[in-house]
Amino acid sequence: MAERRADLELVEELRELGRRLETPAPDMTHAVRARLAQPPTASTRFAAVPRRWLVAAAAVVVALAIALVPPSRAAVAHAVTGLLRFAGVEVRQGQPSPAVSPSPLPSLRSAGLDEARRRARFTVGVPARLGIPDDVQIADPAPDGAPRVVSLLYRGGTVRLDEFDGRLDVAFMKTAVTKQWVDVHGVPGLWFPTPHGVTYVDRRGVTHEETSRLAGSTLIWSDGTVTYRLEGALSLDEATGIAISVY
Amino acid sequence: MARARDGDLDAYELLVARHTALACRTAALLGAGDDAEDVVQEAFVKAYRKLRHFRGESQFRPWLLAIVANEARNLQRARRRRDALALRAAARAEQPNGTGDLPADTAVATERRMALVTALRALDDRDREVLVCRYLLDLSEAETAQTLGWRLGTVKSRTARALVKLRTRLGPGLASEVPHG
Repeated sequence: MAERRADLELVEELRELGRRLETPAPDMTHAVRARLAQPPTASTRFAAVPRRWLVAAAAVVVALAIALVPPSRAAVAHAVTGLLRFAGVEVRQGQPSPAVSPSPLPSLRSAGLDEARRRARFTVGVPARLGIPDDVQIADPAPDGAPRVVSLLYRGGTVRLDEFDGRLDVAFMKTAVTKQWVDVHGVPGLWFPTPHGVTYVDRRGVTHEETSRLAGSTLIWSDGTVTYRLEGALSLDEATGIAISVY
Repeated sequence: MARARDGDLDAYELLVARHTALACRTAALLGAGDDAEDVVQEAFVKAYRKLRHFRGESQFRPWLLAIVANEARNLQRARRRRDALALRAAARAEQPNGTGDLPADTAVATERRMALVTALRALDDRDREVLVCRYLLDLSEAETAQTLGWRLGTVKSRTARALVKLRTRLGPGLASEVPHG
């Protein structure tokens, strides 16, 4: 039994190590696309696109991106296609197409705040402005039970705060017509003032169309690790006030 | 996914954007080092050309990772580059930048992580690969099997054995020293 426990500890340490590793993941959509546009026979290992060309293309993308997003490494804008990635949320330009009767997130269940905090691999923040939530939900657990998304519900569920580790994968996809960059106490946030589509993308990168629903006004921000998604009938000032009260 | 399979490059771009981060981590941790980006780019190009053989996005991820793993291994074999894992982890461990670090994250924890990296490096390639996939990349057993091209049973038994080897190298407890490195 002691061995078993030691192995579990070691596994947790390995996972923690994995979470701490920072690997650069540059936007390579353009480079890939450029290569795919060439005839297949031209594919010589790593040599199909001259590096100089890639650098030039990257420079153009960066220039466009800077015009659209605040100077944050967390924000990667895809200016050409209108696709934007920000702290684990993918934003597409366009009209939302919600499911007829949207499903909840995969394996969603209620849990106490204590349990959510114990199980989640990220720090679950609570906004002092809203206090103790009416309900806490955890969803899409890993094999060891660690939830990918923790949601705090307030005001009978009309205000919700979704939290997840936004450093690795995309967890939500949004389809919106209007969005604007805002300042949340010194960090960039993304504000969706009008109803827009939100769809869950699970830990395997699979889009769950059945979860597509129309979301009310939403503020998204990140503390560098955890991404917060605050949704409800709130003004930008109210939302920002709640955001900066998270502890 | 369906549109990408039909040759819609816009749709494929979405898949690329979504899977880049994990693919880059996989490449770097499986030994591609500084060439991780080239490996991943190459994998995305190859994946696109075989896309019609795949039905859903759930199949796309492990299959893409399998291509990445293969490319990374080929590269490693050709150039004998094995330091990616250690170098990146060490760089990260030595520079706690304050963004994700808890107060409890002391020098002892940093030392322990360094020891862990050293011990991982010292393992056989296959032992290291299975631990990287299962825990550092947090893949399921089935995804690990597909990524490494092993049978599911091999993944299970190898994981258990590799953990024992790693534990033996590390010694017990959080504040232990590295036996050898």
